[in-house]
Amino acid sequence: MTFHAQKRPVAAAGAVTIEDLAPEARFSLRGDPADAGILGRTLGVDLPTAIGTRNEKDGRTALCLGPDEWVVLAGEAERDAILDAFAAIEADTPHALCDIGDREVSVRIVGPDAAALLAMGCPRDLSHLAPGRAVRTVFDGVSIVLWREAEEVYRLDAWRSSAPYVRELLETGVVELRAGL
Amino acid sequence: MLLIRCPYCEETLPELEFVYAGEAHIERPKDPSSLSDDDWRDFLFMRSNVKGPHFERWRHVHGCARFFNAVRDTVTDRFLATYKAGEKRPSLAELEKAE
Amino acid sequence: MTTLRVPNGGRVRHDEPVAFTFDGKSYTGLRGDTLASALLANGVHLMGRSFKYHRPRGPVTAGSEEPNALVGTSRGKGRSEPNTRATMQELRHGLVAESQNRSPSLKFDFGAVNDRLHPVFSAGFYYKTFMWPKSFWDRVYEPVIRAAAGLGTAPKEEDPDTYANRYAHVDVLVVGAGPTGIAAALTAAKAGAGVVLVDENAEIGGALLSDPSVAIEGEPAWTWLAGRIGELAALGVTVMTRTTAIGYYHQNMVALAERLTDHLDEIPQGAPRERMWQVRAGQVVLAQGALEKPLVFNGNDRPGIMLAGAAQTYLNRYGVRIGERAAIVTSHDSAWYTAFNLADSGTAIAAIVDTRSHPNAELLGEARRRQIRVLVGHTVVATSGRLRVKSITVAPMTNGRVGKSQTIACDCVAACGGWTPSLHLFSHTKGTLRWDEASAAFFPDRKSEACEIAGAGRGLWGYAPVLADGVAAGTAAASSFGQEARAVAPGVKGDRPGTGANHAVLATSVKPGRVRAFVDFQNDVTAKDIRLAVSEGMKSIEHVKRYTTNGMATDQGKLSNINGLMIAAETLGKAPPEVGLTTFRPPYTPTTFATFAGYHRGTHFEVTRKTPIDGWADEQSAVFEPVGQWRRARYYPKAGEDMDAAVERECRATRQSVGIFDATTLGKIEVAGPDAAEFMNRVYTNPWTKLGVGKARYGVLLGEDGFIRDDGVVGRVSETLFHVTTTTGGAARVLTMMEDYRQTEWPDLKVWLTSTTEQWAVVALNGPNARKVLEPLTEGLDLSNEAFPMMSLADCRVAGFRARLFRLSFTGELGYEVNVPARHGLALWKALMEAGEPYDICPYGTETMHVLRAEKGFIIVGQDTDGTVTPDDAGLGWAVGKKKTDFVGMRSLKRPDLAATGRKQLVGLQPEDGSLLLEEGAQIVADPDKPVPMRMLGHVTSSYRSAALGRSIAMALVADGRQMMGKTVYIPMPDGTHKATITSANAYDPDGERAKM
Repeated sequence: MTFHAQKRPVAAAGAVTIEDLAPEARFSLRGDPADAGILGRTLGVDLPTAIGTRNEKDGRTALCLGPDEWVVLAGEAERDAILDAFAAIEADTPHALCDIGDREVSVRIVGPDAAALLAMGCPRDLSHLAPGRAVRTVFDGVSIVLWREAEEVYRLDAWRSSAPYVRELLETGVVELRAGL
Repeated sequence: MLLIRCPYCEETLPELEFVYAGEAHIERPKDPSSLSDDDWRDFLFMRSNVKGPHFERWRHVHGCARFFNAVRDTVTDRFLATYKAGEKRPSLAELEKAE
Repeated sequence: MTTLRVPNGGRVRHDEPVAFTFDGKSYTGLRGDTLASALLANGVHLMGRSFKYHRPRGPVTAGSEEPNALVGTSRGKGRSEPNTRATMQELRHGLVAESQNRSPSLKFDFGAVNDRLHPVFSAGFYYKTFMWPKSFWDRVYEPVIRAAAGLGTAPKEEDPDTYANRYAHVDVLVVGAGPTGIAAALTAAKAGAGVVLVDENAEIGGALLSDPSVAIEGEPAWTWLAGRIGELAALGVTVMTRTTAIGYYHQNMVALAERLTDHLDEIPQGAPRERMWQVRAGQVVLAQGALEKPLVFNGNDRPGIMLAGAAQTYLNRYGVRIGERAAIVTSHDSAWYTAFNLADSGTAIAAIVDTRSHPNAELLGEARRRQIRVLVGHTVVATSGRLRVKSITVAPMTNGRVGKSQTIACDCVAACGGWTPSLHLFSHTKGTLRWDEASAAFFPDRKSEACEIAGAGRGLWGYAPVLADGVAAGTAAASSFGQEARAVAPGVKGDRPGTGANHAVLATSVKPGRVRAFVDFQNDVTAKDIRLAVSEGMKSIEHVKRYTTNGMATDQGKLSNINGLMIAAETLGKAPPEVGLTTFRPPYTPTTFATFAGYHRGTHFEVTRKTPIDGWADEQSAVFEPVGQWRRARYYPKAGEDMDAAVERECRATRQSVGIFDATTLGKIEVAGPDAAEFMNRVYTNPWTKLGVGKARYGVLLGEDGFIRDDGVVGRVSETLFHVTTTTGGAARVLTMMEDYRQTEWPDLKVWLTSTTEQWAVVALNGPNARKVLEPLTEGLDLSNEAFPMMSLADCRVAGFRARLFRLSFTGELGYEVNVPARHGLALWKALMEAGEPYDICPYGTETMHVLRAEKGFIIVGQDTDGTVTPDDAGLGWAVGKKKTDFVGMRSLKRPDLAATGRKQLVGLQPEDGSLLLEEGAQIVADPDKPVPMRMLGHVTSSYRSAALGRSIAMALVADGRQMMGKTVYIPMPDGTHKATITSANAYDPDGERAKM
């Protein structure tokens, strides 16, 4: 463990940035964990079964959020193809594939102070969230999915209605970090 | 703020990700209409309210979203164990020994 | 510079003067001063007035435990703070400080008349005096008492500062950066642990800052300290100063309050004033040290009398002599060093008065060498001086008797009654304490958290032992991570070991009625008050505390608890632990509310959810209301309209032509899977198996207790997919309940639930022209009544967007709900507004929605139901599947109480006076002339003015209401009792023709 939320002697402007992400095809995939194999083949990505882990292939990503719950990300143009592929196996392999492409909006938080910014609202020890992992957690009372994409790169998915509230604290935090205290 | 081990995520995480969900091991009767009024009342309302190790349910609501079971000492507010829904109730004697 | 400032003395910057004002007068201090040290350097001891007696007071401490020197500080509009401890406020340029609790001035205070009346204001005075008449309490006693007795004044303007919050996680958190804490932090860090070291002071060093003459590892204390600061930085230890560990919670969660800007001349842009840290530590080392205990003697509260350790701190850390001629009064060795340091700095020592007959010979020798007069085995019988101490009167004690007294002139007194380990945080953990008879103090006993408590905080004394203890604590903390520490305890030269004797109260020959020996300075609790409390029957320290207010001041008994306990125990003839110790609770020191609130103020007060149409509504000057976490447009007033006018207009427009409503907030859940219908059968009261694809049904959800929990329209999208809607506020609750059954009761069902509340933006169109507005925008669906009748749904395109269209009505009019992916919500809304222009389409808010549905008698769960209403009570018996063998809550509906007659049923109420608006929540009675208390038949649940019906309408829950149609009932309200007739709640278009057009 390290005290990664520590203050920095100089928090220069731009030590952290927040970037809005463009919409993409996004689904909540639910099904029997025993069917993970066929569901993964249908998606074209092996479904990870350890909570908080993800797999990626050919621009499609599957993240395991719960024992029977995955988030699927893909290019915007692939939405219908994915829906069709899963509809084709529904009779034999019951599951639920729900379009959540509009339910959530995402920002990417990048920079040496990214963890400090997130620590303003997230009680998790982010040093335990290794790069590559992603989990559902909470930020300032709002449920979020937090992806650690790289050492200093995080992606935060929040439900659309609470996104302005989340964004407000993030912006406040950027100003706070810039003040350097 | 407590730390709670989610038996599904296999991680020990801050209480803020969880919500309490009442006493554990109270199964809904398979055929409620066959129960007497008194038995149904007991199912609905009667709870053990123990001082000491309490079998209770929590939900990892800001996490894997699963309901799970826990043994928490209501005096010390310390978790003795957490385990998946549907798993057998752990033996208190063994838990206390492990403490 | 005044003569009280020691040239080049202390750790202050003599080359950096700092100007400030106190009570309007300008002063100069030095960078590094506190307000208290700067005022003392200017010869000012009088800094405040006490709470009850308005006695003149000066600082007694140099730290956070200060009870007396509380001042108001400010730095411009809104930036003012009452009760700032002058001993903690660092000097900054332009600091404005004002004394408190005095009128008209600190030196002349009318309130001091209370002091003359002190025999009246004894312990329990308020309980005994202000008892009757009852009405006097609010009108007379409380306002007068509050005006007369009190601390600072709360600022009235909004605080322009911001406050921050941060979560943190660390291997080892060390609380207190004195020698013990520094040793512990270094040891743990060297072993490889991540360490945070916090201290409430502006710099680390603790007691070493006041004891520069000690040598550690062959270096003068301050040289050694500078070296360790470098070493801490090199090891990556995070050192946080001006940071108080205020609370120690479960599983090593420690709350830290960090003060960021109060010491700065200029506030950096965007910098928060304070930050709350919630730190989770693997191991905690408590190294908070000890607090000096005042001696309780007659007249011990005059300005100029302070703790000896404080005098030493002012001298050595701040370079300020507290006076020109000091008397030392002590029962402990430590104050002797204060005397020596003061003497060596040019303050005359009038005498060292030690209560002990045989103090340490070495100390006696040192005093002799400095030609200091020493009086051993003496007590203080009195002091003199109104705004500043002028003398103390002392007398020898022989065999418990006070001998002949003599008066010693002085302008300051340094007093010491021994030291008390600071166990506050340890006690927060429910760690147990044990009483140590020899030192008359509680020591830590059994731990309940993963923590070490070290140094003076567990009763050790002297630098060598506490440094060794710090090393041991750091080693233990590191070893719990499997790290091995290889540190050795630093050697100390010129250590200041010490012992002492303990006294509850110093004996005096002054008549008991005239003795004023203070235990709690701020709350003016005297030894006599505590004895009185005991004699009046208070046997537990908890009762003594509340009766006398001892320990209830802002210092929370840091100085007074042990002395109060000793006096109470002595009076009771019991051992102190039998009398008990009051519970220490967080916060350790006073903490601003804003620090607890953090970011949660103003627009960020709580989570606020907004729909895609929220911005448009805002531009239209809509008035919003919170519904759950959502903010919803309540009505859209036009210029000059109040709510009633706007709602009446919106209602008329909707009934006459078409209204448009943002229904996005409705909860939406996709229930999917081959067992979806079976799951719905088990959860909702209604039968679902036969609901056709493309058809919708009003569903009712109960708890297992049989009472209505939620309702909403459910559409069948396919054989295996239901689109369930819930109330706005109930969405999360319903999904949680469904998930609970799915996961834990029926894991065998092949069904999955996904919240789609936010996936869809929903726009409702209602009114006779709704179809005309929608039709031209709709592709792929025949909207005719025959093709798409009431309670249908279909996927199609509206305004070019993928849409899921429902035909349903919550208003009684022809109605549609258009669901589109949320990103298109605003565009859809605008397209419908444009298409509706020829029909004078009218946006309406939740208030109009409430009126329109009430005209139809449709319930709102949570308004017309209250968790005790069954479907039958609500008139929804038709929604319960009669042939079903089980669903959630079904068994309860057969419980005798729920099946009995006499239950409250939902009905309409028609007030006799159609212009009268009944109060929601008003009680309903059969005969208002019956004596009070009379039987209540029920209460009004909803009440509105109905434009369509030309009168007011109401819904009510009334016992056996459906059997009382046409009967008259009475509704007592504050302005009189009103008459109303019980009717059907479905008052507008009762046959429902308009929705089926």
